[in-house]
Amino acid sequence: MLTKVQSERFFIGSIMLAFAALIMATVGIKPQLFQNLQFLILLVSLLLVIWIGFKAGKFEIITNRLRIRAMGWLIAATFSAALWSFAQKSTQLLFPALKEFRKIWNTFEPFALFATVVCILFALLLFIVGSRDSKLERPGFIERSLVNNLSSKIAALPMVLTAVGVFVIATLWTVYHSFTNSRMLPKSEFIGFAQYERLWSSDRWYMSIENLAIYGICSLIFSLFIGFMLAALLDQKTRFENTFRTIFLYPFALSFIVTGLVWQWILNPDYGVEKIVRSLGFESFVFNPLYDIDIVIYGILVAGLWQGTGFIMCLMLAGLRGIDQEIWKAARVDGIPMWKTYIQIVIPMMRPVFITTLVIIAAGIIKVYDLVVAQTSGGPGISSEVPAKYVYDYMFSAQNLGQGFAASTMMLVSVLIVLIPFAYLEYGRRKHA
Amino acid sequence: MNSIEIKKLSLNFGEVVVLKDLNLTIEKGEFLVLLGASGCGKSTLLNCVAGLLDVTDGQIFINGQNVTWLEPSQRGIGMVFQSYALYPQMTVKGNLSFSLKNAKLSKDEIEKRVQNASEILQIEDLLKRKPAALSGGQRQRVAIGRALVRDVEVFLFDEPLSNLDAKLRTDLRVEIKRLHQKLDNTMIYVTHDQIEAMTLANRIAIMRDGLILQLDNPKTIYNFPVNKYVAEFIGSPGMNFLKGAILPNDKPTFKLDGGWCESPDLSNYMFYEPIKTETQAWLGIRPENVVFGDDAKNMPVKFSLEVEVVEPMGANTLVWSKMGGQEFRFMVDGNTTLSIGERVTVGFDPVHSSVFDLDSEDRL
Repeated sequence: MLTKVQSERFFIGSIMLAFAALIMATVGIKPQLFQNLQFLILLVSLLLVIWIGFKAGKFEIITNRLRIRAMGWLIAATFSAALWSFAQKSTQLLFPALKEFRKIWNTFEPFALFATVVCILFALLLFIVGSRDSKLERPGFIERSLVNNLSSKIAALPMVLTAVGVFVIATLWTVYHSFTNSRMLPKSEFIGFAQYERLWSSDRWYMSIENLAIYGICSLIFSLFIGFMLAALLDQKTRFENTFRTIFLYPFALSFIVTGLVWQWILNPDYGVEKIVRSLGFESFVFNPLYDIDIVIYGILVAGLWQGTGFIMCLMLAGLRGIDQEIWKAARVDGIPMWKTYIQIVIPMMRPVFITTLVIIAAGIIKVYDLVVAQTSGGPGISSEVPAKYVYDYMFSAQNLGQGFAASTMMLVSVLIVLIPFAYLEYGRRKHA
Repeated sequence: MNSIEIKKLSLNFGEVVVLKDLNLTIEKGEFLVLLGASGCGKSTLLNCVAGLLDVTDGQIFINGQNVTWLEPSQRGIGMVFQSYALYPQMTVKGNLSFSLKNAKLSKDEIEKRVQNASEILQIEDLLKRKPAALSGGQRQRVAIGRALVRDVEVFLFDEPLSNLDAKLRTDLRVEIKRLHQKLDNTMIYVTHDQIEAMTLANRIAIMRDGLILQLDNPKTIYNFPVNKYVAEFIGSPGMNFLKGAILPNDKPTFKLDGGWCESPDLSNYMFYEPIKTETQAWLGIRPENVVFGDDAKNMPVKFSLEVEVVEPMGANTLVWSKMGGQEFRFMVDGNTTLSIGERVTVGFDPVHSSVFDLDSEDRL
């Protein structure tokens, strides 16, 4: 004699088979041998249902704890199936009123069919999971890991897929193709390290690396320093604090392109600072950083700092506000000078904020591109080239994907070289502590 | 000799007047508690003494020296905060020695003082730990130690026990008292907890709206509160108030509104000045002074009432009932069994009562 649980399992199993048969019939199976497979499966599932009915005497989903949720999915499936059917000619013939909204039904038709299938799949999945455990009063492993918070798991799925697709698969794909001689289109013709050899023998790449290093180090130091100083000054119960904060943060609302253009004009000798000072009477005054090979990167740096420090200041200010006021009082009572309080007490307490800020600044450094394009387009000559621009130019202008991929792989490697020891120090140590 | 003298102290935050014309003198070795509900200006006053807030007007003297415009560190004070305010990335020892190192003391001296303070506070085992690895009580000890190593005349406590649980609070309270007996320093202690105030203080200053309502030793404050607010604030459970009028005869009596019992005879009550006319007033009697059962029979004032709620508290049981529409609480022995709705006879001696004017709420 079958137990209640077993009969339920078989019952759900046969429904599964029938569903599979339905899908097969819809999709259609090409090879001759399997052409009638769906009917065979349907037959099996029918026989199974009859057999169970004969053995158990009834079909009931009682023992299954997930049945309510499964029913919910089935109802959802029914709704979307109904929606789909509204778009069908035969239904519209039956109910002429539906015709008036034909456009709506037609829009929903493909989605509705897809949703129906997905909803039925979920319902079946729940039935299977629910009937899996012999002791149905208690959730088993699958149920705990899969069904709990099912909706949130479903909601997270697209993002998980995107993240995996973009960050893992696309990265691997890029690295893979950097070893090929892909030109305009990716090819799988391996040429070993040739792209890298070419990359490292190119003056332009060396210039890019050098510029990135100067820009990176200066931008890191100055934006942290200026940002923290501004935040510390604003934290002294400054009057009009909100106004100042807004002013400092305003540049952040501008895109890099706009920032770049504004600073290009300011630094332009024909109508910028040089022009103004000369018109004041200092005829021999020279100030044209964007046209000087040696200092052009500093012209870009100024624009970058102007754009970014306000945001850093806001982060720092938030961090400072998180410090207990009584710490300040205690330090004052202890007779510790303010600068020493900042350096020895407050800044160490703000460690998490500094780490966040560091990551944000570092990401900004690596991806610097539009600022250069707007200000100098890499000129004069190649003197303000940066790696991101190198990658872009080779991939989309020079139509040399392999070279672009090699350069971007090098960027990735350099980021990892910095990031891995840092992450190890930051998170590896915490595990031991 | 006076340790702290506060003269005509005023403090405004913009338009808001927080402290006004406040005078306060604290003797050397005295333990003064500033007590009041939140927002009464007690912490503000303490911060002014510490120099963490700039005063609007007035002067502060510590040990005879005018410190009104001195930096906190130069005033010879040590301060303990509610949130401990320990420096989280330093060890306990680092916390204790940080201010000393900053004051450029010699290494031996620092070592000696840290050793001494940690012995007094029994935190020798904790010296190498960081504050995050300490319990609340241990943290507060370290915070006290940080004030202790500085070898100061005056200790300021800003609600130091408010973040601790009830048990620890009691333990640390006793320890602070011991510390005071041992060091004999002047201490100012801000709290909103009246038990802490009563147990610790030599004198209590009860504050309200930036004014000191009463400044006296705990016993006097408990027995002779100067106004109804103080009477309500001090004592747990709070005082019972009965509305009525004082009849000025040879023997002044208190005629209770509703006349639900004989008028208490106030001839033994010490009035500030004799009552000439009939005055509307509150009669306050503490639940502890109300007796019940057989004892009540010998009391000058007695009446019966109905038990509404019984709150057993171990040693005592607090009984809630209503008298002429007003709440009336009294204490009975913890072993007494009373049932709800039972009528009992209670009584009290008007000598233990306090009488306040109905309008001004001042003691008569």
